Amino acid sequence: MTKQIFVTFLLLAIFQYLNAQEFQKDAFNDRRVINSQSVEMLKKGKMDFRTYHRFGDLLGTSGGWQSFYGLENAADIGIGFDYGLNDHINFGIMRAKGAGELRQLVNGYFKARLMRQQVQGNNPLSITFVANSTISTMPKASTPNVLSSFPAFSNRLAYHLQIMFARRFNQRISLQASLNYTYRDLVYNYDQNDIPSIGLAGRIQLTKATALIFDGVFPVLVADRELPLQYQFPLGVGFEFETGGGHVFQINLTNARGLTETDYIPYTYSNWQDGEFRLGFTIGRQFTVHR
Amino acid sequence: MKYIIIVVGLLYGFWIGVQNDMTKITGEETVQQVLDELGDTPSPNLPNRLLPGASVEIGESLVKFGKSQNLSGGNTMRQSRHFVCTSCHNVERESAYLNIEDPEERLAFTHEKGLPFVQGSPLFGIVNRTKFYNDDYEKKYGDLVDKARNNIREAIQLCAVECSQGRALKDWEIESVLMYLWTIGLTMNDLQWTEQELDLVDNALSDGKDRADAIAVIKSKYLDHAPATFGTPPSSYKEGMPDIKGDPANGKIIYEDGCLHCHAKNEYSHYRLDNESLTFKQLANRMKYYDERSMYHVSRYGTKPKFGKRAYMPQYTEEKMSDQQLEDLRAYVLEQADK
Repeated sequence: MTKQIFVTFLLLAIFQYLNAQEFQKDAFNDRRVINSQSVEMLKKGKMDFRTYHRFGDLLGTSGGWQSFYGLENAADIGIGFDYGLNDHINFGIMRAKGAGELRQLVNGYFKARLMRQQVQGNNPLSITFVANSTISTMPKASTPNVLSSFPAFSNRLAYHLQIMFARRFNQRISLQASLNYTYRDLVYNYDQNDIPSIGLAGRIQLTKATALIFDGVFPVLVADRELPLQYQFPLGVGFEFETGGGHVFQINLTNARGLTETDYIPYTYSNWQDGEFRLGFTIGRQFTVHR
Repeated sequence: MKYIIIVVGLLYGFWIGVQNDMTKITGEETVQQVLDELGDTPSPNLPNRLLPGASVEIGESLVKFGKSQNLSGGNTMRQSRHFVCTSCHNVERESAYLNIEDPEERLAFTHEKGLPFVQGSPLFGIVNRTKFYNDDYEKKYGDLVDKARNNIREAIQLCAVECSQGRALKDWEIESVLMYLWTIGLTMNDLQWTEQELDLVDNALSDGKDRADAIAVIKSKYLDHAPATFGTPPSSYKEGMPDIKGDPANGKIIYEDGCLHCHAKNEYSHYRLDNESLTFKQLANRMKYYDERSMYHVSRYGTKPKFGKRAYMPQYTEEKMSDQQLEDLRAYVLEQADK
């Protein structure tokens, strides 16, 4: 089965090269929508320095004036680099504080473009695959029966696979759907290790430099999870603007506390309706490493 | 018998030698060959072909791709992370006439040939020039142009370090670039001749008379330097240049062959341009600002390399883009923004 999937991806990639025509402009301005990866790729030789920040709850019991609407708290903070090996293969690494039970997360990913939407041609969609792995580097807890007790080294690991399908319908509207699979090596008895999910994302271009964006992840086939808190779908909306000099600024509101897929997909309990959403921002700055 | 063979051989050799003497221009000769034959001062631009490692192939690779192979066969470090020579210079001919700089004619010629409309002078025929970084380039580079103005090697080095914001070229790399540039030097066929002028050159070659005149007439056929006048934007960016009416059709060609050459694919610039209405609306809205957001400003002043962002935009001199063409570009942008 794995071999068949690999061959399918390989054939798609070869087909894309052989079928080279004028490609559609990028569906998304950035390689992340808000929390989710987008189909877009960093160009060859470019390195993107990324800073992510998610503040505390804007409203609700821990938000409001007492925490200056969450600005005095940090749900998660991430810093990392993405690198374009070529226009079709990217790598990235990010260190995040972590918002779930596991903290001090080092997240590495591999991303490959399988198909790119063409202006006129056989490719109506852009398709990109991403494989993500996260390791928690937090100290081993002395208390047994908690996730951070890490009985085995592999218990520190979590993985995420995602295949994204996106289409830029016109200069203003772009949509993306994704099939996701998240696996955590160690979970509690009431939880389950693997979480399949569906992702949706979109972008509404307002002007050349500004756009509204949104994304959400919806776990499926996870009826066996009996969590102590009510699970909430991670949903985010944001506003992004590009300065033209390689800077993309994004301000967003999301109920997800974590930054990495292995963190926010399993562990989002904040409820939008209770004011448990937060302000966040992402700043990217691209550098040319080589041409 | 053997003496007869020797005599016949000598006569044959003499006859071959006579045949190879340049007594009549065929057009295939390089301009430099003819000037040399006429006894002109040897060109200082000729490469040192004895330098180990230097070759035409390496020169071409450096010009077009910014890297090549060193003496041990390994890849050289890329000359610049931001540009290659062909980012701003065509290696092909850009104009039907080589003894004038006419931006209107240049645009029509490059468009017909499918070439980009770039800021730099073409590398085609540049080895036949004797002066570089002329006129107003002193305003931009200051004392750095002093060494480069009469020395093509220093000019190449200045271009490598300042214009492309890269590393200095090694001696064998510069000689390689020169070797390649000589392969795209001018030939007699590249110049426009009258019959009288060709007769003058032919006669000077065959009987040695009027050689100075022949040299002068050859050199009148191409510019020995590229004039460079740094133009100024209109006093009101919002109103544009008074008394000049832009032609949007011409502006479309400038936009597509000039602006999109660098801005369409994120190749040289992070600022992306395309043919969508949102893009034209932004260009139109930003035209009024007296800074780098305005197309007037960047066309005439360019942008500057900054710490952490060395890639920049060189300006168009008046010889490369006229005021009329700038207004044509404005007219096209405004027309598209209104749609």
